[in-house]
Amino acid sequence: MYNILGKRKYFYIFSGTLMLFSVIALSVWGLKYGLDFTGGTLMEVKSEKSEVKSDDIKKVLVDAGINDAVVSPSQDNSFLIRYANSSDEKNQEVLAKLKEKFPDVQNTRLDYIGPSISSELKSKAIWALLVAVIGIAAYVAYAFRKVSRPVESWKYGVGAVVALVHDVLITVGIFAILGHFLNIEVDSSFIAALLTILGFSVHDTIVVYDRTRENLLKSGSGEKFDETVNRSLNETMARSINTSLTVLITLLAIFLFGGASIKTFTLALLIGITFGTYSSIFVASALIVDWWKWDKR
Amino acid sequence: MSTRRKIWMKFFLVVILFLVAVLVAWPKPIQKPAFVGRILAPLKINLGLDLQGGIHLIYKVDTSNVESAKVPDALSGLQDVIERRVNAFGVAEPLIETSKSGGEQRLIVELAGVRDIEAAKSMIKETPLLEFKRMEAPAEPEKTAELSDEDKKYNADQQKKAEGLLKQVQGGADFSELAKQDSEDPGSKGQGGDLGFVKRGTFVPEFDKVLFDSDLQPGQIYPQVIESQFGYHIIKLLEVRGDGDNKEVHSQHILLAKKTPPAPEQAQPTFVETGLSGKNLKSADVQFMSQSGKPEVGIEFDSEGTKMFADLTKANIGKQIAIFLDGQVISAPTVQTQITDGKAVITGNFSLDEAKQLARRLNEGALPMPITLIGQQSVEASLGMISLTQSLKAGLIGIILVMIFMILYYRFLGVVASGALIIYSSLMVAIFKLSSVTPWSITLTLAGIAGFILSVGMAVDANILIFERTKEEIRKGRSVRSAIDEGFRRAWPSIRDSNISSIITSLILIWFGTGFVKGFAITLLLGVLVSMFTAIVITRTILTAVIGEWAERKKGWIIASVKQENNEKDVN
Repeated sequence: MYNILGKRKYFYIFSGTLMLFSVIALSVWGLKYGLDFTGGTLMEVKSEKSEVKSDDIKKVLVDAGINDAVVSPSQDNSFLIRYANSSDEKNQEVLAKLKEKFPDVQNTRLDYIGPSISSELKSKAIWALLVAVIGIAAYVAYAFRKVSRPVESWKYGVGAVVALVHDVLITVGIFAILGHFLNIEVDSSFIAALLTILGFSVHDTIVVYDRTRENLLKSGSGEKFDETVNRSLNETMARSINTSLTVLITLLAIFLFGGASIKTFTLALLIGITFGTYSSIFVASALIVDWWKWDKR
Repeated sequence: MSTRRKIWMKFFLVVILFLVAVLVAWPKPIQKPAFVGRILAPLKINLGLDLQGGIHLIYKVDTSNVESAKVPDALSGLQDVIERRVNAFGVAEPLIETSKSGGEQRLIVELAGVRDIEAAKSMIKETPLLEFKRMEAPAEPEKTAELSDEDKKYNADQQKKAEGLLKQVQGGADFSELAKQDSEDPGSKGQGGDLGFVKRGTFVPEFDKVLFDSDLQPGQIYPQVIESQFGYHIIKLLEVRGDGDNKEVHSQHILLAKKTPPAPEQAQPTFVETGLSGKNLKSADVQFMSQSGKPEVGIEFDSEGTKMFADLTKANIGKQIAIFLDGQVISAPTVQTQITDGKAVITGNFSLDEAKQLARRLNEGALPMPITLIGQQSVEASLGMISLTQSLKAGLIGIILVMIFMILYYRFLGVVASGALIIYSSLMVAIFKLSSVTPWSITLTLAGIAGFILSVGMAVDANILIFERTKEEIRKGRSVRSAIDEGFRRAWPSIRDSNISSIITSLILIWFGTGFVKGFAITLLLGVLVSMFTAIVITRTILTAVIGEWAERKKGWIIASVKQENNEKDVN
């Protein structure tokens, strides 16, 4: 049996440092928002010949009155053009101007998010996260309503929510760093990933708490609360790791072979679920034990 | 023995379920009997836009001109019109729905497999306007308007100026120079007023009178200022050639333009609105004229339109009724008799294609409310195809890796879990396919495939919980059979509790999500529910049927190093 709880100081330091760095990364760089949340236009044009250069396209855009466009070359003589924009007429104008200048240019993709949609997506994302956190906390409190000795059931709920905030905060923090250095953007799919991480994190934590609950009900004598928790952690460790492994295996398969458009989404899940597993084993139960010790004083 | 029979019955049911699921999911290898193929052929997975390419358009609907009570009606009308237009474009199963967001009414159009995005968009927005107008007899031409006093004075001044110029040229001033300087005839001014050789009838009659009928000789200047509709002319004859009808004169002139009263309106029939328009149209189709076989367009009015048309034709027998499309007259048939059946025919010199297009456009009708595009997403079809094959490959790899892991770690139990996983995958595919014939059709998106693959990982989770528990119980010395029972029993609360949190998050995602997020959440939710069934019911049925006395003798098939664990336990 491993004495996991005995080393919780190191896990607190590790998690605390990561969370601190996440907060710093978030406040210094912030997240790089995708088209979903900023609104605007993302256009992909393809040229049959290879003569068209990014700068030429940029000139045409400036000509159409767009000065903030970002033009980046993509594969097969394609270019991704992104600019802030609040009406579809502008896109038509840009396309017409591009066709006029480069007759062989083809428009292969045109995503346009108007201001009302982007603000709606933003507020929906915030609401979804809020409702999810509240819903999950309520559920955890309900699920643990019967365990009250020696730690009240709502404290398990708080423990689960703290672990969940930990997982989500670190994931978001890592994406702030990825956004700053690798230009990785977050969009609605990132929110979906965060919510999935929420579900997973709690899922993992619940299994550990469940075992603690079961062991508490059985063990009448002798064993102290922290010993019971530590035993429960050890008993569920194989399960926690194996479950995460199977999920991570499938996620890795999607990440490596599953096409570019869901890479960011999968990456967020990979990070979040890894930390979710870590926190359910090394952080969530430790919190309950320390709370119990604090109350006992 | 009856419990034994019950177990085998259950096992048999699982096998049947599996066979049905596989049959629905992959009907290809089973071509016979034919009726099975016929039933299964229409079942197919609805692929989302991101997998088959296409466009997703979000429009804002301007409802400001419609009473709020009538908005729902107007919206469904809008949906109908756009559906007709989109159908005409040849899009299979377009998705057209309305939604309300905040104070904004929205219309969402999804067109799968559309290549020409811009053409499709203009097709949706295009608003053909069909109107029926009755013809009114031409009004009496207005009397020639009087010149204003100001204009009269101007003309008098011009006349005086012309007379002054005449005096100057008579007094020997250079005609060409003066013409260049003062003439107001833009056509001849540059050439010093030279008009070239002309025959009679080329100029206004007043001119001809001077050039052909007076006794003016070449080189002479006509001694009077001549007034025409253009103004005041000073005319000089330069040369004459030819005789009779071939007589041509060469002259030059100086013109001082005058103001003229506005020309009276051309007497034309006017069209008067009748209130009958494309709104009142029920349908239009291409017909062929009985004698000539030429294509024409038959139209049918709705009940209100039928009544209006009957009144209109009754009041206009013998007169023309003009049919306007987008402000242009396309035909103006003469009414023979009153038409009460609400049917009319638009004849014109149509080619078959023109007639088809007109019928199509008429069917499209006008949009009851204006719409503005506020969001658009497009995926090229080839890109969708790549995503589909890539993600399916990823899914297959993921499932195989999970199976390998399970078999290596849980041995015989892992084999059973892998079997359950295959059943799970077949069931999911079957559910996707079956949903396509129900009103709750599930659309598989790229995100959905991600959700599906992810749910494979989660499906195994329930099994892992059970098997870990089973192993524990075996280590405690239980028989394999009772350890398995205990494993299922003990693991159930954890499986239930942990899956409920996933269900909560996927429900929230479905509720809040759009597009990508929704597709992911729906498959995840479905995956969690189905996986609970396969991991618990199906795995358990298989295990209870298969695990017998042999398992007690061969515990190594199920769990590694039992003895060692037992020894440890003894020491404790």
